[in-house]
Amino acid sequence: MGAIYRREMQGYFYTPAAYVFMGVFLTLASIFFGITNLASRSSNLLELLGQLSYLWMLLSPILTMRLIAGERRQHTEQLLFSSPCSLSGMILGKFLAACTVLLTAVAATAVYALVVAVYGRLYAAETAVGYLGLLLQGCAFIALDLFVSCFARSQMTAVVAGVGVNLLVWLADVLASAVTVDWVSKLLNFISLYRRFEPFTRGQLSLSNVLYNVLFMGILLFLCVRVLDARRWSEA
Amino acid sequence: MISFEQVSKRYGTHQALQEISFDLPKGQILGLLGQNGAGKTTALNILTGCLAPTSGRVAIGGFDVMTQPRQAKRLIGYLPEQAPLYDEMTVEAYLRFACELKEVEKGAVVSHVEAVAERTGLKDVMGRKIGNLSKGYRQRVGVAQALCGTPEAIILDEPTAGLDPRQSSEMRALVRELAGEHTVLFSSHILSEVQSVCDRVIILHHGKIICDSALQALRSGEARLRAKIACGEGTLLPALRQLNSVSRVTVERGGDPGVTQVVLTVKKGEAAERELFTLLCAMQAPLLRLAPVEDSLEDIFLRATMDEKG
Repeated sequence: MGAIYRREMQGYFYTPAAYVFMGVFLTLASIFFGITNLASRSSNLLELLGQLSYLWMLLSPILTMRLIAGERRQHTEQLLFSSPCSLSGMILGKFLAACTVLLTAVAATAVYALVVAVYGRLYAAETAVGYLGLLLQGCAFIALDLFVSCFARSQMTAVVAGVGVNLLVWLADVLASAVTVDWVSKLLNFISLYRRFEPFTRGQLSLSNVLYNVLFMGILLFLCVRVLDARRWSEA
Repeated sequence: MISFEQVSKRYGTHQALQEISFDLPKGQILGLLGQNGAGKTTALNILTGCLAPTSGRVAIGGFDVMTQPRQAKRLIGYLPEQAPLYDEMTVEAYLRFACELKEVEKGAVVSHVEAVAERTGLKDVMGRKIGNLSKGYRQRVGVAQALCGTPEAIILDEPTAGLDPRQSSEMRALVRELAGEHTVLFSSHILSEVQSVCDRVIILHHGKIICDSALQALRSGEARLRAKIACGEGTLLPALRQLNSVSRVTVERGGDPGVTQVVLTVKKGEAAERELFTLLCAMQAPLLRLAPVEDSLEDIFLRATMDEKG
């Protein structure tokens, strides 16, 4: 797993993937920070973190597109499959590398907290909870898009399919408010990643929401392993 | 070292491998020969754990590839048909990654990478990006990757595919070198390549083993002699067919009138020549020329696939 993690980290920084992801994320985050906090003289960073959570939908596939689909395109998956590394170790290594890049990008936004702390009043505990929620949600999207990448043969397909699936997840959240059938609305609210994120944007640390995100990631990573294993039985 | 037991692989309705079984002892170089689509790559992918067999069992060093993958895969190095290379990495970074993947001890990685690079002639390109290397060098990097971790068995799937004649010859020389220290399983559809590198050959045809033999035995099992005899066909051929050591007589037409040229398929040894001379002396038919016909692997391959069709 360690070898796969290190190789993926190198891969992110040898190719434009990590730079594009971090560049777009930080540019948009700075614009949001300027509008939400600086222009309106607000020291509430939680609102900004709520806005940033929508970026994962579009940016997470940039990190995951090459993880499985890229290996297939370059014919390098045989190197991994024929090595002593297990499929679960391989998936976990790739997932953690993508999460590390995401964490690095989020960590850079700590500058905003510093600015708020110097010129205003920083609600440190609430902001920390908000950051935890943002990271958990970002990692959940990475797990989802990694799963999508398992089905794609090219990186472009992986990106388009990833964005599509992410939009569906967001749509579940929108539908939950629109649907009038009670149990459907409850179900959509239960599975919605955005609904699960809301308490974090109020600075509320909820164990059930943390567990939901962790479980969501665990199930999708398990499914990734199953998909790759199943491919060994069926593929020509 | 490597054993296939009744291994089959089916893709939907297509039977890619049909109950193939063979053992590869330690130190042997085995050539897996077959036309494109014969099932060579499928067999190698099953052996290396990249594909699962529909039925049967594959073991490496006694470890089942499906149930004990980690132990089994530690013993092999695999170069697939398309070398598994990351174009954005330098050769050195890639070989380090391959060593880590093969669980080479951390402290030994640097010296191991150097040794592998020395062995495969990559020392001069260690700092270059793989994407900028020529096809020949890329294939060498692929072989180097397979050597990382000093595996007991090296599996090479068509390692000379796409190389120019000089590069192919260098690759064959490299494979021959490896043979001293490793068990080698080498697939190819180029017959002369297998002939020049391997001790033993398995011919796959439509997913079945149609021939499994040491090259030496293949060549010397039955000999063929071309004879030019000053005698008419009518009297000569029935007499030749009477000989005990001759199993087949094939007439080659287009010679001089009154002279018959035949190819005799005979049992190995000198008995055939003795019988032939005795017969021709008795018939007072001068023997103008007698020469052995070298059985090339092409002939063996064609004969084996023809028999299968027949």
